[in-house]
Amino acid sequence: MKSSIVARIVAIAALGLALNALPARAQQEFGSPELIAAAKAEGKLVYYTANFAEVEQEVIKEFNKRFPEIKVEMVRAPGGQLITRVRTEAAAGKLIADIVDHSDRALMLPLADLFQDYAPPNASDYNPDSLVSPKLWPRATVVWSIAYNTELVTNPPKSWKDLTKPEYDHMTGQVFAQSGGTTWTRIMFERQVLGEDYWAKQAATHPILYPSGAPMSDSLVRGEVAMGPLIYNAVYPKQKEGAPIKIIFPPEGVPVNPYASGIPKTAAHPNAARLFLNWCMSKEGQTFMIKELGNLTSLKVAPVYPEGFDPKVVKVWYPNFDEYVKLHAAWVADWDKIFGYRQ
Amino acid sequence: MAAEGESTLNGQAGRRTEATRSGVEDVGRRAMAYLWVALLLAILSFLVIYPVLTLLLGALTDTNPVVDGFSLRHLSITNFLTVLANPNVAEALANTLIACGGGTLIAVVIGLAFSWIVVRTNTPLKGLIAAASILPLFAPPLVAGVAWSILGSPKTGLINTMFKWAHLDWHVDFYSLWGLVFVFGIYYAPYVYMFTSSALRNMDPSLEEAAEISGASAFATLFSVTFPLIMPAIVSGMLLSFIVMLGIYGIPAVLGAPTNLAVLTTYIFKLTNWSPPLYNTAAAVAIILMMVTGALVFLQQKVLSGRSYTTVAGKAFRPRNLDLGPWRWFTFALGLVYLVVVVILPSLALIVAAFRKFMFIRDAASLFDMRQYSLMHFYSIFDNPLTLNSIYNAVEVGIITAVVGGALAFAIGYTIHRTRLAGRRGIDLISTVPVAIPGLVIGVAYLWAWIGIPGGLYGTIWILALAFIARFMPDTVKALSTSFLQIHRELEEAAWVCGKGMLGTIATIVLPLARPGVVASMTLLFVLSIRELGSSLFLYTSNTMVMSVLLLDYYEGGNLGKTAAFSLVQTVLLGVLIGGANWLARGAAQGSVAQRIR
Repeated sequence: MKSSIVARIVAIAALGLALNALPARAQQEFGSPELIAAAKAEGKLVYYTANFAEVEQEVIKEFNKRFPEIKVEMVRAPGGQLITRVRTEAAAGKLIADIVDHSDRALMLPLADLFQDYAPPNASDYNPDSLVSPKLWPRATVVWSIAYNTELVTNPPKSWKDLTKPEYDHMTGQVFAQSGGTTWTRIMFERQVLGEDYWAKQAATHPILYPSGAPMSDSLVRGEVAMGPLIYNAVYPKQKEGAPIKIIFPPEGVPVNPYASGIPKTAAHPNAARLFLNWCMSKEGQTFMIKELGNLTSLKVAPVYPEGFDPKVVKVWYPNFDEYVKLHAAWVADWDKIFGYRQ
Repeated sequence: MAAEGESTLNGQAGRRTEATRSGVEDVGRRAMAYLWVALLLAILSFLVIYPVLTLLLGALTDTNPVVDGFSLRHLSITNFLTVLANPNVAEALANTLIACGGGTLIAVVIGLAFSWIVVRTNTPLKGLIAAASILPLFAPPLVAGVAWSILGSPKTGLINTMFKWAHLDWHVDFYSLWGLVFVFGIYYAPYVYMFTSSALRNMDPSLEEAAEISGASAFATLFSVTFPLIMPAIVSGMLLSFIVMLGIYGIPAVLGAPTNLAVLTTYIFKLTNWSPPLYNTAAAVAIILMMVTGALVFLQQKVLSGRSYTTVAGKAFRPRNLDLGPWRWFTFALGLVYLVVVVILPSLALIVAAFRKFMFIRDAASLFDMRQYSLMHFYSIFDNPLTLNSIYNAVEVGIITAVVGGALAFAIGYTIHRTRLAGRRGIDLISTVPVAIPGLVIGVAYLWAWIGIPGGLYGTIWILALAFIARFMPDTVKALSTSFLQIHRELEEAAWVCGKGMLGTIATIVLPLARPGVVASMTLLFVLSIRELGSSLFLYTSNTMVMSVLLLDYYEGGNLGKTAAFSLVQTVLLGVLIGGANWLARGAAQGSVAQRIR
């Protein structure tokens, strides 16, 4: 009985200390005390994202460890549908979102006028190349890798070039080009860095084509495909749980796709939205996304690297944004032709 | 749909009855009738015509009507011509017709066979067979697709694993057009079953007895008397199952994707999902779907018009069971095989996926390795606050849709089949239109059409309910129509003669007689709205997430285990809710879902 009282007192004291310490730290990193107070008064925010709901649920959970008072309501839709929803809602004057988070910067850029001025407290720590507009920030930065099923592959690929080996015929899978900004980044990298004939060589292995990285990573675990290029954050959580897969970062370079996230002018909970984005963009938020979810970061100095990622060996590859916009239609059409992907 | 012969035959009696009423009353009644038709047309305009027009506008322009404003400036048929000229659209259309046609054929054979076995024979354990016959209705198409991909994948399918284990040199591949036909057929048999079993139950067996007395064999009677008499039900069930298959996304999405096998719905989904999305092209493809469906509805009208199918008259009859002798064990075995294929195998597949940590199954021994199993996927889905929210929202939308939609369908069905009001043909036609439009496409149209309505419909559960009411109106009205067609007009006339008014007649005669149909339609509506995905995707907002959207999220998020676990939760929940409704209805009256189903 007594010990439990003591324990309780200690717990309360510890909590008090923590509560005192928290705002002080939070103040510098995540925003001014006024912003935090205003955000808490708003109490919630509506978050539109093109990322996977499950992944974002983890982000929200982690954010709520710091700010339990702010409820994040999420709407998740695939990229194309999300853009239509945002445009339609905005045109009708009913944009509910307090934050829009999208994987395709080319689709977001034309909507930049919908967004208010926003920059995180650590704005200067970010690589300016990752921004397409000063209002849209790379909240998440995702990276490509090669993954294979260890139960099925005895002689695993070690590079992008290896993936085209004839011995892997009918064993590979990949996400089709039309699926969105992330995959577009990869196929652009393949043609510009690995060579004009890379697509044709890859197509010769008869890959199964998937609409996005998530179902493909599931197929990889099941053994429907044995290997293929995958977004690291789609396979890493499965590897962490013990699935029979291995992931490598090939030496020729890894394509990276920064997201674009912003706060609409019409946001009903602008302070909560700022606080959430500030947290995501902070070192703490980025570190969490790298370590737990398998993202990369667009911070100039990465606080940490994902497992198996040696910055001395692996070269990250950012697409040139002008080309990213200009080449899209023609190159995707070429890709479709080479892979026999019917439009 | 309304039988011409029937209305002329009974017209005279009706007119005589009406003549007894006073002229003043007549004028009042006529005014009320106009008001009533105007009201129904207004509701239908809002629910159907307005969204369909925005869709057409979308298909014929390259604009988003909300963003760019409603204008006819960019009107052109370029979109439509591009789509028509695209050989891949033709291929998708051909695949669609083969898959749905083959599937319908299987569905009719299965559905009709089981409704006959259950209603008309002395097969043992009929209740079990009856339950098995409608169980596939509970499974959302995406779940069915996932289950059959686990079972029938050419590389990792459990069926192939078991064949290997048994040293059988057999191999199945469900990632093919034939796999699609098979899965469509077994999953949509319940539609045919629901229509034909209630028709069989309501049919006076004296007609069959007459055939037998005249020396016809049981078999000949079946094909010369029984099936022709319930033809409207067979045709309706057939048409509905075909049309529903046309609009299904989940099954072809899962089974067709690995081999790049496209049907129209998956093609449309691709168009809306690409970046940038091609909604206008999707709308144009949807018009092809609408034309196919329109042709079918026209065909059905042609087949059914000019005949009378009234089999429920003012005479009492006793349902009769055919004694099959030893053959009853054969029919029983058929029932068991169906149960195994449609319920047990897919459920086992889902259970394995839901409880297994990872779905890599090297061989049969690994399948039974208990160390591979855990509750981790269930913990993980219930750890997500969206799960409970989505369940609550889905049930709420389902109930609103069932009650409001059921009432509206009754009003429409009654007006079409039981009155001679001017405008009823128009009502019939308009209320059939939504059947032709896949949910994915009309979802955008609903969004375009309704988002601007003042009063904040957008963002509430009601916009979802309205979309479901509109989308499933044809299904509900058609399901009710068979009930209306079967009730002889003489029963209503008897009530009028006894001095009952219109509403009194409906309350005391039509509603009680059509009650099994009404309850079954509402149940159908509830199930359909819980499973609905295409429109929900566009209309849900942060606090109105429903189960089907979350399920797609789990699936697209690439987690088969969570998808399977959530599917099991959803299936059990639907079973419990429908069982409960069934039980309540049984307590309330004779005409219950249970009876209709059994």
